[in-house]
Amino acid sequence: MEETAEERFGQGYLQERKLVKRWPGPVPAIASLLLTLIIFYASWWIFQDPRGVFRNYTPYVGFSHTTWWLIALVWMTYVFNYWPFKRGWLEKAHPLAKGAVLTFTSFVIVYVFIALVFEGILGNLGLAYFSESSLMKLEGVTDFFANEYAAFSCLMFATIAAWLSPAWIVACEEAPWRDLQQPTKGFSIWVMTFFLTTIIYFLTVHSHMSILYYPWQEFAAITPPWWQSFANTVSGAFHLGWIVCCIVSLWMVETIWGRFPFILIRRAGLRRLATFFGIIAIAFCMYFFFHFIQELAWGEAIRGTRRLMATDWRWLHSAEIAVFFLVPALFIYFYCGNWPNKYSLAVNALIRTIIAAAAAIAFYILYYKTSHLFLGTQKGFSHPQQFPMIPMIWLVNIWLVHHWFMDNWPGWKMVPKTAGEIAADREAEKAKIEEFGWSPGMGVGLGVGAVAGVLLFFVAVWATPLIASAVNTIPE
Amino acid sequence: MSDENKGQMSRRNFVKGASMGLLAGAIGSMGVYSYAPWRKAHFAETKRKQTDIGACKRIKITNISETSWFDNATLMHDIKEAGGLLVNQYDYNWPPFGDGKGLGKGSYDKGIKTIRHLLPQKLGEAWAIQRDLAVNPDNSGGYSCLIEIEETSGRKRRILLDTGWSYAWTDESFKREGIDKMLANKEIEGLFISHEHFDHFWGLPVTCKYHPTIDLFVPETFYEEGMRYIKDSGHKGRVHKVKKGLHVNPLGIPGFATFVFDVPIICRVYGEQSMFFNVKDKGMVSVTGCCHQSIIQFAETAYREIKYDNDNLHGIYGGLHISPFENWDPKYDDLVIALGRYGFDKIGCNHCTGVITAKKFIDAGYPVVQGTARYRSKDTAYLGNGDVITFGA
Repeated sequence: MEETAEERFGQGYLQERKLVKRWPGPVPAIASLLLTLIIFYASWWIFQDPRGVFRNYTPYVGFSHTTWWLIALVWMTYVFNYWPFKRGWLEKAHPLAKGAVLTFTSFVIVYVFIALVFEGILGNLGLAYFSESSLMKLEGVTDFFANEYAAFSCLMFATIAAWLSPAWIVACEEAPWRDLQQPTKGFSIWVMTFFLTTIIYFLTVHSHMSILYYPWQEFAAITPPWWQSFANTVSGAFHLGWIVCCIVSLWMVETIWGRFPFILIRRAGLRRLATFFGIIAIAFCMYFFFHFIQELAWGEAIRGTRRLMATDWRWLHSAEIAVFFLVPALFIYFYCGNWPNKYSLAVNALIRTIIAAAAAIAFYILYYKTSHLFLGTQKGFSHPQQFPMIPMIWLVNIWLVHHWFMDNWPGWKMVPKTAGEIAADREAEKAKIEEFGWSPGMGVGLGVGAVAGVLLFFVAVWATPLIASAVNTIPE
Repeated sequence: MSDENKGQMSRRNFVKGASMGLLAGAIGSMGVYSYAPWRKAHFAETKRKQTDIGACKRIKITNISETSWFDNATLMHDIKEAGGLLVNQYDYNWPPFGDGKGLGKGSYDKGIKTIRHLLPQKLGEAWAIQRDLAVNPDNSGGYSCLIEIEETSGRKRRILLDTGWSYAWTDESFKREGIDKMLANKEIEGLFISHEHFDHFWGLPVTCKYHPTIDLFVPETFYEEGMRYIKDSGHKGRVHKVKKGLHVNPLGIPGFATFVFDVPIICRVYGEQSMFFNVKDKGMVSVTGCCHQSIIQFAETAYREIKYDNDNLHGIYGGLHISPFENWDPKYDDLVIALGRYGFDKIGCNHCTGVITAKKFIDAGYPVVQGTARYRSKDTAYLGNGDVITFGA
């Protein structure tokens, strides 16, 4: 593709577009919710539903498609800034045309990575567990489980990448390549995050895959895995859990927190490090807390048992709870203009967090009360083949397509901001940060708030078993 | 705000600081406290109910059939092509609910319509129809066992746990072990269905053929199709819909209790009923169909709910649902590692336990009672078809 020196592709596109509501009040948000839910259900039926057309919710095959679609969307938008699609086309093409072309491109990326890179090349020439056909050569392995194992190994790579790739943008601010043009910048970040993903993959997933075999493949992997005494399980579900929490934490920081409080750090290097590791720290805080509330609701997990009381499932479910939080957080950001905006950064972030948390609890209860009636799933919390994060992430993917590729059409109309508006936005953001700058006068409030936060935590600890016994989440 | 005001204690500064502090305090507490050892102070102590279920002298279990299907690859290929393990079992188009439409396109109504009029007496004819209509009918087997309980008085009681799947295989297995005659003579007092799965429940017409008025105990969590199938199978006796939780001395058998677990299961099944026997001077024996709730959960339930001799977990019989399709997952290793802590004296496993698991148990030094691998059972690592295990004197 011939490119001019001025061609920016989609660099800064999301910040430099103005989404203008077509209808007053909450109508665009409600209409978008209805539209995306219809698309969600239709696509769920076609691709995932066990009663539908392709029935990929086996579950790992569908899970793999879902996470790979997520990372494809992130790569296209955040890492490559829509390259090779030109800025002019992004700004002028009809949202439906953009949505169709870009979504089709994302499907091609999913196919290339799952079928060609992982299953075709790595699975057949490197690591057998990436390929159904390689696993089928082992005695006693059935095609169903060969497919499931291969899908799991593949989806774990996408899950790790879905944390690290956007983290390089959100936390590391594209350093040290931020001033490069696309696609040089995109490929640099992509290679770096792919490399880091590979390292994390071998540290967290390889041992899990290697003890799938009998006897354990102790010449190929560390067995028993290094995390077993801490996590009280040899299952890699422990890692799936915290990595998903990192994804949730990252998008929470990026959206409803507006990168607060890390944005207040003036020194770029320190800010980037603090954001990267802060996201991980927040993820583990969530992860342990969601694990703890399960212990409070259902009792302490017992190693070796199955379903509700199993340690591996509890870790997995901690991640699932986190994803229930991600959905309303993104809705606030995509469709509610990240309301509220009129207060200081901290107050805005706090209010949005409270709203997202309350919505997440309501959504969680609603999901477990009703989802088996329309998703083709089984009622109950701990069905071994059931992962609520699959429909949740599927819905998030549809929202990403709608928000990133279709400018929230038809509820909103995209208008490119003028140079003046872009400059004014930057000034306003700077001013908000400046305004928030630390002052000793905040110290008392900070102390009181911290104590209140600790108290809030213990109130939640006290209330959880009461709520769990009072609310009959699973229908008879 | 001016620089002078920024340093002052104002309402605005206080709120900003408090908001930040609230987030930090709450999230920090979540991280510091939630997985720390002191969190355990919040857990309720396990209160042992010590329900007295009495005791029996001895139980003898005859494995009528543990081979629910004969070829894993065929079954799993069916499951894969139909859309996986969340597909409703009545939709797979397996016998006896085949309608000729192919994998994943069946339904209870369309399937039963083809054979309802033949149940329960003309099972050969019904099965012949299904061999034409259903997917892979010859791969179906079934799970069933005969439990003979000797009371401390010496009186012997007989019950069946589950009733297989294939009409042909179940009937053949019943005849091999003399179950047909015991049923016809009403020597077997009750049929307990562990759960609604095809391989445990769909052979019901075979039991009904010999003893249509037998007392039937099913978990209350059966779906509507399952309840209709009981009627369509020609069952005329009492149906006990067993509620979730503990049920002491069903049929008035001392030392015997069942427990219905609230557990979601693959192929759209819900709930499982398992059995406890308190064997005098030995302790608790757990007998299960598939034990989807996990043997460890079952043992923990026994500890919490029931009083048993010597406070000892003595034995296990049945499917333990670990690697039913000879599949593996690291979480199953957690079970293999943890089971030793429960100190069972005798482990008679088979069926959905999986041969890999039995071998891992043997490698771990657990007291697995090995079998004879007869009548199409695959391996001596566990108790096979026609094998017998006893617990107690």
